[in-house]
Amino acid sequence: MQPILEVKNLTHTYDESTPFSFDAVNDVSFSVFQGEIIGIIGHTGSGKSTLVQHLNGLIKPSSGKILYNGTDIWEKPKEIKKIRSEIGLVFQYPEYQLFEETVYKDIAFGPKNMGLDGEELDKRIRDICSLLEINNEYLDKSPFDLSGGEKRRIAIAGVMAMNPKVIIFDEPIAGLDPIGRKSVIKMIEDYRKRYNATVIIISHNMEDMAQLADKLLVMNKGKLIKFDTVANVFGDDQTLKSIGLNVPIVTKVFSNLKEKGFPVSKKIFTIEDAVSYLLELKERGEHFA
Amino acid sequence: MLKDITFGQYFDTKSIVHSLDPRIKILLLILQIVFIFITKNIYALLLAFLFVLLSVIFTKVPIKIYLKNFKAILPIIIFTALINLFYTNEGKELFGFWKLTLTTGGIYKAFYFALRIVLLIAISSVLTYTTTPNDLTDAIERLLSPLKILGLKNAVHTLAMMMTIALRFIPTLVEETQKIMNAQKARGADFENGRLKEKINALIPILIPLLISSVRRAYELAEAMECRCYSVNGDRQRMKILKCSAKDLFAFLFCLIFCLGIAILNYLF
Repeated sequence: MQPILEVKNLTHTYDESTPFSFDAVNDVSFSVFQGEIIGIIGHTGSGKSTLVQHLNGLIKPSSGKILYNGTDIWEKPKEIKKIRSEIGLVFQYPEYQLFEETVYKDIAFGPKNMGLDGEELDKRIRDICSLLEINNEYLDKSPFDLSGGEKRRIAIAGVMAMNPKVIIFDEPIAGLDPIGRKSVIKMIEDYRKRYNATVIIISHNMEDMAQLADKLLVMNKGKLIKFDTVANVFGDDQTLKSIGLNVPIVTKVFSNLKEKGFPVSKKIFTIEDAVSYLLELKERGEHFA
Repeated sequence: MLKDITFGQYFDTKSIVHSLDPRIKILLLILQIVFIFITKNIYALLLAFLFVLLSVIFTKVPIKIYLKNFKAILPIIIFTALINLFYTNEGKELFGFWKLTLTTGGIYKAFYFALRIVLLIAISSVLTYTTTPNDLTDAIERLLSPLKILGLKNAVHTLAMMMTIALRFIPTLVEETQKIMNAQKARGADFENGRLKEKINALIPILIPLLISSVRRAYELAEAMECRCYSVNGDRQRMKILKCSAKDLFAFLFCLIFCLGIAILNYLF
């Protein structure tokens, strides 16, 4: 099967040929297949954001290639706008990009730029709003009258309204309260299910990553350290620790229990897994003080 | 694009110019600008050129960075040169059509004024490239301190604080603009193509979020300052006391020689 997105030896040097030059992304290669959810983890300044801005052509690589469905996205530089509608990118704190008078107009900005208008445009917006459970009464409000969490949802809807095949999120839940987090995660899951979209998420929250992602990509100082399944990445806590990252708390709890001699053999990454595993142990009648 | 604007940035290359007292640097800059303006002929201007070039080399900041600056103001330089080229009727006439005539005097003047703008930008950049914004405003506050006698004590401090904040936020706002531009580009906005009207309309999705975030930042900063009991009234001590040294004296002598040179050349030719 052909990967939907393929990154080959991507390097990006900031401030080339000045005293401040440094490699934000250094020789990174990986492939993403349709329908996958990829999580990107790494410290602040590890090159995550720079990496994802390459994927939809906002930054041109210093060297290396990005292939979308097998063709180089920079093959025809004039068609980069089309690539940007197929590979959506939701920036960190996307609510700061809202600018229109009404929520409806703001969501319409992306699809309009793609050339939609009239009924088609209206249908597109109604569709995405019903999918994401954005109430009709919101549409005529000013986006600046909404709460922080609601603004975030509107901004994300604005990118989803372009119906991208691949959608990338840079810290989508940063700075939200628990309810806001849940609703944003639900938006991402609903969108993916409906359109069988590929999702790439940057996050610092290991718990959410364990729950959402199929695979994790670990970055450190511009280099790709690991690209593997969630189980394999969180299973190898030594590597993560060495670059200052953590495994989910529940994984830590279970590995500490194991160290203390409790009969827990499995690696656990989410609370749900932990509950079902403990129930299983109970049924088998193993004692678990 | 935006990151090409280097004017007003600080480059820490730790040269001798960096270690000069910022007050001296400001005073010398004013002196130099005055003398670049009063050059009467090309010989004096060429001496000024030599002097500015030396200053630029002393800063150890790569020449490339200075050149980037000129890219941004190239239209102004070209415009000035063209006006002078065609509206001067001195010397031998080379050719003329319609109302425009090209004369040797015009060519001379076009070159003269273009070079003068380049020199002014370059020498101003020497100051900003080698002085941190904090040092700069500190120096301005000290230089304006005579006004305190007139009962304008708070005004001087407020002005200096406003400048510090403004300078401090230039890079932040540039970064923010870049971020918003990228976010809107990701939503299919197009800033490069289209006719003038479309290009102006394309700015709205950048300017409105930028304005909103500036106001938000201003509120946050004001609150943070109030939480730390900031007030324009009241005497405060300085962490860093500016002191002049032998280096500053040398810099002053160096500039004096330059000024004398220009005065002599102005007089001779």
